[in-house]
Amino acid sequence: MLEACVFATILCGFFGIVLKQNLVMKIISMDVMSTGVVAYYVLIASRNGLFTPILSDVNRGAYADPVPQAVILTAIVIGFSIQALMLVGVMKLARDNPTLESSEIEKGNTP
Amino acid sequence: MNIITIAWIVLPFFLGFVIYLCPRFDRSLALVTSLASAAYAVLLFTQPIPVALQLLDHFGVTLIADSLSGFFILTNALVTMAVLFYCWQSGKSAFFYAQATILHGSVNAAFVCSDFISLYVALEVLSIAAFLLIAYPRTDRSIWVALRYLFVSNTAMLFYLVGAVLVYQTHHSFSFAGLQDAPIEAVALLFLGLLVKGGIFVSGLWLPLTHSESETPVSALLSGVVVKAGVYPLLRCALVLEEFDPIVRLFGVGTALLGVGYAVFEKDTKRMLAFHTVSQLGFILAAPVVGGFYALTHGLVKSALFLIAGALPSRNFKELQHRPIHTPIWIALVMASFSISGFPMLSGFGAKVLTMKSLAPWQPMAMNLAALGTAISFAKFIFLPHKSQESASVKPGFWAAVILLIGGLLIANVVYFEAYTLANIAKPLAIIGLGWVAYFAIFRRTTVKLPRVLEEFDHLIGVMSLMLILLFWMVWA
Repeated sequence: MLEACVFATILCGFFGIVLKQNLVMKIISMDVMSTGVVAYYVLIASRNGLFTPILSDVNRGAYADPVPQAVILTAIVIGFSIQALMLVGVMKLARDNPTLESSEIEKGNTP
Repeated sequence: MNIITIAWIVLPFFLGFVIYLCPRFDRSLALVTSLASAAYAVLLFTQPIPVALQLLDHFGVTLIADSLSGFFILTNALVTMAVLFYCWQSGKSAFFYAQATILHGSVNAAFVCSDFISLYVALEVLSIAAFLLIAYPRTDRSIWVALRYLFVSNTAMLFYLVGAVLVYQTHHSFSFAGLQDAPIEAVALLFLGLLVKGGIFVSGLWLPLTHSESETPVSALLSGVVVKAGVYPLLRCALVLEEFDPIVRLFGVGTALLGVGYAVFEKDTKRMLAFHTVSQLGFILAAPVVGGFYALTHGLVKSALFLIAGALPSRNFKELQHRPIHTPIWIALVMASFSISGFPMLSGFGAKVLTMKSLAPWQPMAMNLAALGTAISFAKFIFLPHKSQESASVKPGFWAAVILLIGGLLIANVVYFEAYTLANIAKPLAIIGLGWVAYFAIFRRTTVKLPRVLEEFDHLIGVMSLMLILLFWMVWA
């Protein structure tokens, strides 16, 4: 069930990228898609247990797999920096293309 | 050797940030990194066994450096060096050199990775650095082209990440070998990411616009090495796991034909070169065992061609027919064109012969067709008018860069000098001759303009879903 929701999020994001016209909306759709991917990593990490994997004297039972969590932390940072970079690019484009419609920008900028 | 490997991977990133701190030494520091890579590649060729590193545990970072990566690293070193020579006097800011150094470092890292997550990190750092380099002129067009590049590659990498975690789920390890009995959807998702990143087949159609609209040195970097960061893992997968070898070969053939099909009708120099990058990547994939050497020759020749195309008086072939180019430039252009068409004396010949030898039985027909297409489209360059009196107006570093690259092409002949037999020499000559005849008979006059629908942004993203289905079906079958 949870897995289906996660995939639905990824697909929603993907279709958003294709169907939305506005460049900012496209970037937000990409963010939705990456949220789905992050959720999927968290889901897989918690297959065998739910507790935070922190070393301590008390045994609290099955803990979550730390590897996917560590990996996705890297991916979140990368994704966030890429989005920041893209938004800066969009800001620059917005001066000459105030509507930010990707098809219009594309028409104006392809030889 | 392990310590040297790690130091060599870290060096470009370290120096890249040092360049920000001491902008006065920007060019020399960037040159040091590329020299270090060249030295490391030579060191790799002398190693009897591949360098394999496993940091942390089975789920940690794994690196493998052997002669295949050696070829790719050497390509990276030489192309970066040539681009630095080209830009030496151009007054580019320290920012440009810092990004070029970081790009160099991330491409290097991608060439030794042997697990999916280190590869992911390397590819993402590479896209950020490439984005900044493409957008360096700060014009609207360059920003749009860069944004489009980053968008397409980041979307593909999201699919890739899902594939990576599925591999982890089956094996509790991210290494390439884990692909063995991973679920089919994992393979399809990972391959989709790599195909888009490497500019292969229909999903690689973002490449022509990106490579043709960037500045000359940046196009040379992108076409020469950056796309190969996506191709190398595919080769590695095909070599590690037998069952993916046919899929990779099939994509090789498909992309070789697709690229050439577009290139023969192209009327713009830089776009034609970019389409040829697509097609030559197909040659690299068509025979994974010998892909490294082909990648080296292609990297050298394509960056040389992009640098030379930047020195031509126009980008339009029609106009170039009426505007003679300076003879020395023409000679360099013809040498590079001959190498890429597979003419003896230059290492493009050895690479082509080696590739043709390692093909599967069903491939040669299609690859010969692609080679014919290459000869046809480069006839457009070879038969341009030239004149010696014309005053040369090239950038100061131009000749240093082009001589380095073409010299590299000549020296690389030693890798496979056994290729020089009569039968081997006759075949490319026949193909080139046939190509020239076809050029004069048909393609010189045609004015077919192929539609560019598939290169539109929305379609690039949409095609990813179709490719995913295709890949799924291919792995399943």
